[in-house]
Amino acid sequence: MNEVAIVFSAEIMRKLRSRVFIVATLLGIFAIAALSYAPRMIEGMIRSSTDNIVLAGPAQLRERAATLMQERKDFRVIASVDHLPPYVTAKYLDGLHAAAGIAIAVEGGRLHLDIYPRDLAAFNDVQFRSLVPLNEELATGVPASRFAAASRIERSVHPIDAKFADAGSATFAHGIAFGLIFILYLAIIMGSQGMMAAVAEEKTSRIAEILVATISPVSLLTGKVLAAATLALAQVGIWLASGLLLSPLALSGLERNATSVAAVAAPTIQPTEIIAFVLFFLLGYLEFSIVNAAAASLVSRTEDLGSISAPLLMPVIGAFLIAQFAIVQPNAPWVVAFSFTPFISPFVMFTRIAVTAVPLWQMALAVGVNALTVAIAFYAAGKIYRVGMLLYGKLPSPKQIIATLRA
Amino acid sequence: MLVVDHVKRSFGSIKAVRDIGFTCPAGTVFGLLGPNGAGKTTMMRMILGIFPPDSGTITWQGRPIDRNARRRFGYLPEERGLYGKMRVLDHIVYFGRLHGLDEFDARDRAVVWLKTLGLEGNEKRACGELSKGNQQKVQLACAILHEPDLLILDEPFSGLDPVNAEVILDCIRLLASRGTTLLLSSHQMWQIENACSAFTIIGAGEVRAAGTLAELRAGFPTRPVRVVPDLPAIRAAFASCGAPEPHVDAGGALVYDLPVDADFGRLLRYAVAAGPLETFQREEPSLNAIYMRALGTRETAA
Repeated sequence: MNEVAIVFSAEIMRKLRSRVFIVATLLGIFAIAALSYAPRMIEGMIRSSTDNIVLAGPAQLRERAATLMQERKDFRVIASVDHLPPYVTAKYLDGLHAAAGIAIAVEGGRLHLDIYPRDLAAFNDVQFRSLVPLNEELATGVPASRFAAASRIERSVHPIDAKFADAGSATFAHGIAFGLIFILYLAIIMGSQGMMAAVAEEKTSRIAEILVATISPVSLLTGKVLAAATLALAQVGIWLASGLLLSPLALSGLERNATSVAAVAAPTIQPTEIIAFVLFFLLGYLEFSIVNAAAASLVSRTEDLGSISAPLLMPVIGAFLIAQFAIVQPNAPWVVAFSFTPFISPFVMFTRIAVTAVPLWQMALAVGVNALTVAIAFYAAGKIYRVGMLLYGKLPSPKQIIATLRA
Repeated sequence: MLVVDHVKRSFGSIKAVRDIGFTCPAGTVFGLLGPNGAGKTTMMRMILGIFPPDSGTITWQGRPIDRNARRRFGYLPEERGLYGKMRVLDHIVYFGRLHGLDEFDARDRAVVWLKTLGLEGNEKRACGELSKGNQQKVQLACAILHEPDLLILDEPFSGLDPVNAEVILDCIRLLASRGTTLLLSSHQMWQIENACSAFTIIGAGEVRAAGTLAELRAGFPTRPVRVVPDLPAIRAAFASCGAPEPHVDAGGALVYDLPVDADFGRLLRYAVAAGPLETFQREEPSLNAIYMRALGTRETAA
């Protein structure tokens, strides 16, 4: 068994047995379960705060308005009365679990609404569009049903890059791209911190000296980083699987047609995207982990990690932000250029693959660039690691680091 | 055979090793002595390939040391380091595997060494839970599990109580009897004197003295003579023979540091004549005295 494999298996076992890893994995599952319930809970809270209204006015007008409002799901009329009290109070609305009292009337041949909201910012023009046909009927005598029909424009959307069958799938892909990029971002942020702490621990506990006396620093670094990347990917896999299993809970309260995320995802996520995610996840994770491990080897005390971790996080944050632009402008020239830029490419290229049809040569080029970056990073980091792990005291100057790389 | 030939190494403007050369014959226990900052650890790290010398050569069995040769080396550094949360047995097996043993062989050997080192029953405990002495023994087990051709021990007795130091010393003797070449440094002179058959004393990155204990003693210019009791008449007798002022050791004995070619028979006769002499003992210089003299710190053979 070669050195890398021995370090890899030992690191895997060490981390699998560590409480931190187990707790983090379980917390992730709990967080996903909580997020699965969240939409239903949030929707319930939003409804109770903004949707429930008490509608007052002449019975016939009131009933027609309520029908139109509820058809579009703009409001839920929870109480219908002839008149609101002379002074509508919060106590009155609370008693009915309503967000507002709305008195409807006809004045000068048009609708007039008197609104008594608990939250002045909670109502806008858009929410009352459902009453436009009724307003026009009162003004012109043309039945509201004709206005309603005229306001609907039949349209067909034709995909031109054959990536998605319909707009719903494209929208869903945008969500998936954001979600997975966010997971990659989180994994790299957390993984980088973990890698730095582990390297600093080996250095401060002086075990590093025995290790680099026994095996090559590159083998040690490779084994450690590969193990961390594998476990991070496994952890993300567990979390995503939990998300898919718990997705019926997420959607059951949203009154939508889909039965689960898995059902929606099945036709939208292609195997190539899953492969691309795994590939770019590993490449991105490795690139940042290697750099972080090398940087951590230069630090003598774990307390000093903060001073070097902040600048190293900047490229991760930058890549994540550029990926947000890539979701909406996947083929903009500057986005395409970033999809081949080391360290940023894993975020941007994966996003492009998820939201648009990327030529195969571009995918291959991005994989090649990142694989080469990983190889160069391993080589350079190995040299820094060899010297850094035995360096105690003040941080080396950039000149010393360059001299080390040239040695 | 380990041959270090005119090795130099600097770190920036600091010359850690100015010019060191020695030969460590196969199967011997070799002591590398020197004060803090003399360059011992740097020298050991260069032998282990942790970093290369600026100039000079280091060979093992007549060849430059490559990765394969280094895999057959064992190393116990001065600063102790273990994975605190890893189990004792797993830790030893891990290092055994890094040195080329397979999992099962490493596990079997680890169990044997844990017993030899008095650590049986601790296999499943986390390394961090052990006492400092036991952690040191675990680390020694990591270094010797693969029965190295060359074992380098940097301050192996540092911080150990006498019982644990004796356990380590027994291990050193056992390994030496099995043919392992040992290179060790220590500040505990009585232990290293007992363990080693040859020495190199270095100071400020240079060799100050080298040889077997007999050779080092032969080159030492004085011999201590211990005399009991401390009587004015005896002191006067020694003074009349031109002996220097003695010092009194912790047991109340007079200790004279006399030239190696002094007439000890005459001194004995004078001492006997001067009073009721209980002890007149001509001793060999201790390693500590040789070490002190080589470094120019103190030249009395106490």
